[in-house]
Amino acid sequence: MSRSSRRLLTAVAAATVASTLAACGGGDEGGGGTSAEGGENEASDIGVTETSIKLGAHYPLTGVAAPGYSEIPTGVAAYFECLNQEGGVYGRDVEFVYKDDAYNPTQTAQVTNELVLDEEIFAMMSGLGTPTHSAVVDFLNDEGVPDLFVSSGSLLWGENPEEYPMSFGWQTDYESEGKIIGEYIAENFPDAKVGLFLQDDDFGEDGEAGIRQYIDDQIVAAERYTPGNTNVGPQIAALQAAGADFVVGFNVPSYTALSQLTALQLGYDPQWFYSNVGSDPTLVGGLLNRFSEGKVTDAALLDGALTTGYLPTVDQTDNPWIQEFSRIWDECGGEGELTNYRVYGMSQAYTMAQALQAAGQNPTREGLVEAVEQAGSEWEGPVFAPFRYSEDSHMGTSGMSIERIVGNGSEVVQEVRTTDIGDAPIEEFDQEPATPPANAIPDEEAVN
Amino acid sequence: MDYFVNVTLTGLTQGMIYAAFALALVLIWRSTRIVNFAQGSMAAATTFIALALIQAGASYWVALIVALASGFVLGAIVERVIIRPVEGGPELNAVIVTLGLFVAIQAGIAIIFGSSFQSFPTPFGVRGFEVGDTTIPLTPTSLYIIGSVLIVMALLVALFRFTRVGLAMRASAFSQEVARLLGVKVGGMLTLGWGLAAVVGSLSGLLIAGGTFVWPAYMDALIVFGFVAAIIGGLDSPVGAIVGGLILGLALSYVSGYAPRGSALVNISALVILIVVLLVRPGGLFSSTTARRA
Repeated sequence: MSRSSRRLLTAVAAATVASTLAACGGGDEGGGGTSAEGGENEASDIGVTETSIKLGAHYPLTGVAAPGYSEIPTGVAAYFECLNQEGGVYGRDVEFVYKDDAYNPTQTAQVTNELVLDEEIFAMMSGLGTPTHSAVVDFLNDEGVPDLFVSSGSLLWGENPEEYPMSFGWQTDYESEGKIIGEYIAENFPDAKVGLFLQDDDFGEDGEAGIRQYIDDQIVAAERYTPGNTNVGPQIAALQAAGADFVVGFNVPSYTALSQLTALQLGYDPQWFYSNVGSDPTLVGGLLNRFSEGKVTDAALLDGALTTGYLPTVDQTDNPWIQEFSRIWDECGGEGELTNYRVYGMSQAYTMAQALQAAGQNPTREGLVEAVEQAGSEWEGPVFAPFRYSEDSHMGTSGMSIERIVGNGSEVVQEVRTTDIGDAPIEEFDQEPATPPANAIPDEEAVN
Repeated sequence: MDYFVNVTLTGLTQGMIYAAFALALVLIWRSTRIVNFAQGSMAAATTFIALALIQAGASYWVALIVALASGFVLGAIVERVIIRPVEGGPELNAVIVTLGLFVAIQAGIAIIFGSSFQSFPTPFGVRGFEVGDTTIPLTPTSLYIIGSVLIVMALLVALFRFTRVGLAMRASAFSQEVARLLGVKVGGMLTLGWGLAAVVGSLSGLLIAGGTFVWPAYMDALIVFGFVAAIIGGLDSPVGAIVGGLILGLALSYVSGYAPRGSALVNISALVILIVVLLVRPGGLFSSTTARRA
């Protein structure tokens, strides 16, 4: 069955239902924190009914990348649950369907097929991982499925909207992050001999490209690990042998734990700097502290390590966003504590709610993409710095602070600075942080 | 020079881990003439039993004993219930059944114990020993692994070479009918062989897990390397399994440490080593005479 005929069927069915409802004088007024336009809700596109919008995503719920990342969808789902209790978006409940790809691109392709063709989602949101999402980005764009807020800092999703008109990044891209890290090291550790510990894919390459713009002459070694190969002994030993006394890691959290464990075996103790992705102290500490019944004592292994931030973290209990997200997790979440990964998921869901509101009462896939391009750069939310969305760029947020890990929390050592890919300069960012609206539900106007 | 030592010692420890798994494969091959692809997930299952006990407060050693005992029971049950009906048919049938079992057990672990990534404790330290003013990547845990594997190897050699049970197991595996005519209880011997192999497999699972992370599929990579190690060694010889494991561990560590982008080449290298060994000595390095091959 061709896509267009299925779409036609849906449209006919929807029109029938809508007219029946109108005849009965029923019909739900929109609302729920958004200004209703007074019209009727229609099944305006695939995945949209009068009462619901279906979104999909893929995550590693099992396997080597699962620690931490598998918590993100629970954050997203909790946010949408609370949003739905408050009336959803234009009276529609947001349904969120997510599937396990085990961080394996072959499985990502399979589950994305299921989401698009069987589940008939309106849009993909928050699909996680550079190697995994790369496997489906062409398919999503060919099918015309909006591919919003990919959970990866690769440049691929936002750099070239002509190639991927439906895809949008969300978090700070790895190249911009590398630039901000590189500038910080050049300014604060000008004598350090820097070693790089890199995931052997776009993640590591983008980060390396950014960092080399500032400290190319300070870098003494760049070692790459392949995800799935858990023996990083030779790589860490090579950094040690090169005399690196400052190691920057662009790696996933489980490899932060593996690199710490290997360094312990080797008696190697440089200053560590883990990029945002691999630095969650609670997660890494939790993985490390059970070893050897106390012989690796606690999260203290990561104490003093540097990292970057673009979102508030759970230890900042006086941050109004964290307070709202804690409430949402208590009321609408599942088991366990609020974690930084759940905060990440909720923050993405918040941006998604902004996008759906901006797309108007009866959103279409094209309309959603246009809404993000037109209004996205104005949206405020939990992220520190604004998004770069426009017709020419689908890159996500642009700024990061630099933080030092202390216990399970962190302290800021450099305030937020913003930049962009390529040779864009790094600038200080002095805008006041946004405060959450009531119930942490945005109120964006429809743009079309 | 330090770097060479570090890479070598890392390779030796990894090689012993591959050897541990290869030993379990050799044992089951010698006692039943089946290559058991389910060995890895059976070992993972008992490792998760041990982890559950440790998380409930039991000591590592209690958990170890329970895991080994449950390994024996699991191996015996698998042989009696699942393998017995296909025994005596074409060899391929049993192998395919073990492949199915591999997937089924792994799914079972995920259902019972969850699929999250967890750290598995070790009773010994994970800090490297200090020699002079440098630290070498040889930890008390690595010594524990190396020692355990060597002891198991010695026990296996002794079992097959010096005991009547070992002789009977080899006879049953080699030719069931002849063994039966000679008064060997073949069925019992096959069950015993599977049970013992599962004990060794469980031990290797625990040794591999100690001081690192486990999830239901954590044995997957090691299954491949363990098979390669066993085949390099000839699939028939406990000593060969150890030597095969060490060769593989060292070679992969050197590839990872010295080749450009070496980490990405590790899996391919394992295959290349396997092909080279099979081309030069088709029966593996430590194979006995070809006439003995079933």
